Amino acid sequence: MMLNSCSREKEVADLLRRGQWPAACAPELRTHVSACRSCGDLVLVTETFLRARSESAGAARIGSPSALRWRAQLRRRNAAVERIGRPILGAQIFALAVNLFIVVAFLAYQARHGMAWLNWLEQLPQEYSLPLESLSQSPLLNPGWNLMVLISAAASLALLGGVAIYLASEKQ
Amino acid sequence: MKEPLPMHRESVLPSVLAGDAPRAAESPMDSDAFAGFYERSARPLWAYLARVSGDAALADDLMQESFIRFLCASPPEEGEVASRRYLFRIATNLLRDHWRRPRQASIEEIPEEFFAASSSSSSADLLGPALALMRPRERQLLWLAHAEGYTHREIAGITGLAAASIRILLFRARRRIASLLREQSSIPHSQPRWRQP
Repeated sequence: MMLNSCSREKEVADLLRRGQWPAACAPELRTHVSACRSCGDLVLVTETFLRARSESAGAARIGSPSALRWRAQLRRRNAAVERIGRPILGAQIFALAVNLFIVVAFLAYQARHGMAWLNWLEQLPQEYSLPLESLSQSPLLNPGWNLMVLISAAASLALLGGVAIYLASEKQ
Repeated sequence: MKEPLPMHRESVLPSVLAGDAPRAAESPMDSDAFAGFYERSARPLWAYLARVSGDAALADDLMQESFIRFLCASPPEEGEVASRRYLFRIATNLLRDHWRRPRQASIEEIPEEFFAASSSSSSADLLGPALALMRPRERQLLWLAHAEGYTHREIAGITGLAAASIRILLFRARRRIASLLREQSSIPHSQPRWRQP
C-alpha cells in the first residue's frame, strides 16, 4: 500500500478538531475533500470516532475519586511495608540456611563415624553410675566432635552478634 | 554530595502502618487536584478502554487500575495534558497485558449489560462491528489519533512504538476502517456521509 497522504490533511484535521467542519470551512476545501480519498477517509473516520467518543463518555460509570485514592494509599503502604520487611526476611533465610548446614554437617559427620554416641547412649542405662572414665572416652570429647561444637558455637555467636549490632545501630 | 536520609525500621514502620509514612505513602497529587483531574479524565479514558477492548466490564476494571497505578507512580510534573497522556500510557499497557493473558472467560461470565450496551447507540452500531474487525493495535492507534486527537509523537509515547511506524500503521488502519465504515453504511466513496441529508 502506497502512503499517499494529502497535503491538506492537516488543515482538515484542524477544522475537525475545532468542530468547524463543515460549517466554517471554505467551499473550495469541501470540494477538495469530496474528491480526495485521503481527506475523505480522514473526515469519515474522525467524525465517526468523535461521535463514538461522546456517546461512550456519556455511558461511563464513574466511581468516587476518594475510593481510588484510598486504594492507592493502601497499595503504597503495603509496598512500603514489604520493602522494609525484605532485609529482615533475608536475614531469616540466611540464619535458617546456616542452621541447616550445621545440622547436615553434623549428621554427615556422625554417619561417617558410625553413630558412636548412640552406642554410648545404649550403654548408659546398663551402668548404675556415670563413671568419669566413660565420660572421658565419650565421643563428645573427641577432637572431631569438638570441632563440630566449635563451628556451631561460632556460627551462633556470629548470628547473635549480627543481630545485636543491627539492633544497636537501629537504636542509634 | 548529599547524604541519603537515614531510614530505620522503628521510625518508618509505625508511620507506614498509620498511613502517613514519609515518602513511602506520599501522594504526588493532592486530594482536590486529583478529584478535578479524575472528573476530566475518567470518561475519555473509559471510552478509550471500552471501545478498544469491546468490553464495558473490563473497561471499568482497567480504568480503576489505571488511576490507582497513576497515583502510586510519580506522574510527570508538566501539567494536566502530560498527566493525561501518562494515564493513557498506563491504560494502554494494562490492555496489552490483558491481551497477552490466556483467555478463560466463558459466555456466562460476561455481564448482561455488556450485551445491552453494545447495541444501544447509533454510532456504536456503525463503529463497533468495524472496530471488531481491526487488530487491537490498530484500534488503539485509531482511537488515540481520531478520538483523542493525539499527534504521532504523543501516540508513540503512549504506545511505545516508533513515531515513524505510527504514521504508516495509522495510514493503513485509517484506510481499512474507512472502507469498512463505507461498506457498513453503504455509502460509496464519491458520496461522503456529511453530504447526506
